[in-house]
Amino acid sequence: MTQGRREQTSVGLTLAWCELDGRAALKIGGWARIEPGDLEGPDAGELSRQFALLTTEALESGRDVNSVPSVAGRFEVSGDALYFIPRFPFVAAASYSLVARQASTGGADEAPEIFHIRRPAEEAEPTAFVAAIYPDVATVPVNLLKFYVEFSEPMSEGRAQRAIRVCRDDTGEPLEGVFVPMDPELWDPGRRRMTLLLDPARIKHGLVPNMEAGYPLIEGVPFRLFIDPAFRDAKGRPLRASGERRYEVGPDVRERIDPRKWRLTVPAAGSVDSLMAEFERPLDYALLQRCLWVNGPDGETVTGHGKSGSGEGCWSFTPAEPWVEGPYQLVVDRRLEDMAGNSPVRVFDRDMTQPDDGPTPTDNVVVDFLCERA
Amino acid sequence: MVDQATALEHLGLAVGSPGIKSVGPLAFGPEGVLFVGDNVGAAIYAIDVGDSAAGGASTAIDLDNLDSSLAAYLGCSREDVEIRDLTVHPHSRNAYLSVMRGSGDAAVPVIARIDASGAISDVALEDIAFSRSDIEDAADEDDPREVTRVKLRTVTVTDMSYVDGLLVVAGTSNEEFSSTLRRIPFPFTGETNANSLEIFHVSHGRYETAAPIRAFVPYQGNNSILASYTCTPVVQFSVSEFRPGELAHGKTVAELGAHNRPLDLVSFEQGDEEYLLVANDRHPLIKIACVDIEQQGSLTVPDESLDNSPADPVTPGVGVPRQLLPHEGVRRMANLDGDNVLMLQQDPEGNIHLRTYGVGDL
Repeated sequence: MTQGRREQTSVGLTLAWCELDGRAALKIGGWARIEPGDLEGPDAGELSRQFALLTTEALESGRDVNSVPSVAGRFEVSGDALYFIPRFPFVAAASYSLVARQASTGGADEAPEIFHIRRPAEEAEPTAFVAAIYPDVATVPVNLLKFYVEFSEPMSEGRAQRAIRVCRDDTGEPLEGVFVPMDPELWDPGRRRMTLLLDPARIKHGLVPNMEAGYPLIEGVPFRLFIDPAFRDAKGRPLRASGERRYEVGPDVRERIDPRKWRLTVPAAGSVDSLMAEFERPLDYALLQRCLWVNGPDGETVTGHGKSGSGEGCWSFTPAEPWVEGPYQLVVDRRLEDMAGNSPVRVFDRDMTQPDDGPTPTDNVVVDFLCERA
Repeated sequence: MVDQATALEHLGLAVGSPGIKSVGPLAFGPEGVLFVGDNVGAAIYAIDVGDSAAGGASTAIDLDNLDSSLAAYLGCSREDVEIRDLTVHPHSRNAYLSVMRGSGDAAVPVIARIDASGAISDVALEDIAFSRSDIEDAADEDDPREVTRVKLRTVTVTDMSYVDGLLVVAGTSNEEFSSTLRRIPFPFTGETNANSLEIFHVSHGRYETAAPIRAFVPYQGNNSILASYTCTPVVQFSVSEFRPGELAHGKTVAELGAHNRPLDLVSFEQGDEEYLLVANDRHPLIKIACVDIEQQGSLTVPDESLDNSPADPVTPGVGVPRQLLPHEGVRRMANLDGDNVLMLQQDPEGNIHLRTYGVGDL
């Protein structure tokens, strides 16, 4: 360590954000008042003894500066300046503090000089909103199992616990403990649709929480589901507006889905009219999108487009090619559920003393229909 | 790195950049391979963490204000740090944490490593030896019904354990409400669902139901699994009863009560006996002797004992006998070295600490 280098340590350093090799870095100016020949002098170890970048939050936490971990990254000399290249990107609007020690001691016995700098905040004009809330019905059963909330844009995780609440519609009083704690949150791959599970422990017959606290919802008491603007989209911006939906609460539903009770409107052979299935009660919105299909007289799955209708009370299927004469099957995936988690093969919480609750064979269920000429 | 990567070729690991989008549940497998659940990327990665250190004489890891220290290391504020899971390297005894820094587009997945001195480092997630297994239902890929549809179904992994050549994975679907335990052969072969199991449990001898498993722990030399559910029961099942394609039934041995959520389980030995700890978000830490699970019949009456007397040991005969331990705010646990259990604890102010407890004191 030369005398000259000791003199050029930390007097009047200036900090500035910059880009280095395409990444955000911190430029430490006023440091390199050294002869060009000396530029390769200080090695990484020396630099990290002399300088440390801390978050200002950590620096001001009251902990000993020497025991607080410094921001992961490395100091590097490039040209005539010193740079800090972080291992993880700097955070928008966060403040950072450079701790500069005398090079001669490299230690803590002299008070270090400290320089602060803050990352710019990002634009935060909100654009996202709640696009839809399912079930798309006026009345849900008291043992409702799921909501689906669709947003207009991809969202950030980790906000649901704070931003979603359920209140009685008559008194405005919040209903507590309605949901399973949302950790982890359940999202679709695009992070636009979130699944909210009502606490199954309070829904299931016979479990202590059901006996102690009862159903999460109250039969006969309408409620509102609120999505607070404090939710964050993927860019960290709040919602443009809150979202909400009001529901009435009806009696519980504890029976298997029975496709034999569905009303089928069968199209004529030779047409490309839609097959329509009307259910005995509304079914789960998400599962309806993939749990129904049609097999043709040849036993193969018919190509076409299926979609659920309003209120999840029906499903229609439009074939890509005209229907032919012969026997078809509407196939019901055993995983299809109604709003209370009952499937075609089992009751959500099967009462083993009730023979009617007994599980049916675990295969998919089929409904036969015949396409005929008009 | 290259030597180590070559060494792990026989486990199907190859060097590259896995593109891990998020980090969640962790579990160590053979030869120090770390399994990382990536719920955003819908995959499980097996990665080489490049940790060939041998554990020192003193392995205890104690680090107060772990969350603040991680925030300082990651260059962010404490509220931007979310610690998702904890595990221990089987040889070096270093602690590994899955940590998400920030959220949304700015989210950065981090595997942090804490050594016995409390020093923080992190595992490189680029240019590493890795292999990948998708956690989507493979059957859906060829499903003609979904050709024109956007795929919306996901499985969110909540816990994993490596058991005798299989990675056992518990997860929750964002659509159907089922209890599916996936068993993925390792080295990864692309097979998942051939080994999936649907597990039902019976409450009080009367109601049969299924629910997503939240957390589980293999014990008795991997012959048994104790699982805790989203909806509170603690259920035991025997690995020997697993038969692919059949429904499995577990034995409900305890209930954990209203508004409580099981968070993690760990097994350890004290003397010649094996015990399990169950961490909960509302109830205290629970200690259960494995021998008692064996002797416990299936619950046939609702078990209100814990809720009625949360401060006292439970009367034997009402659910499996259990002892309530005083360790507060336990969120995650890992068996450190057989003699110690490592706990991630949250204090009433919300600060998170990493602490080591000798098994003799548990």
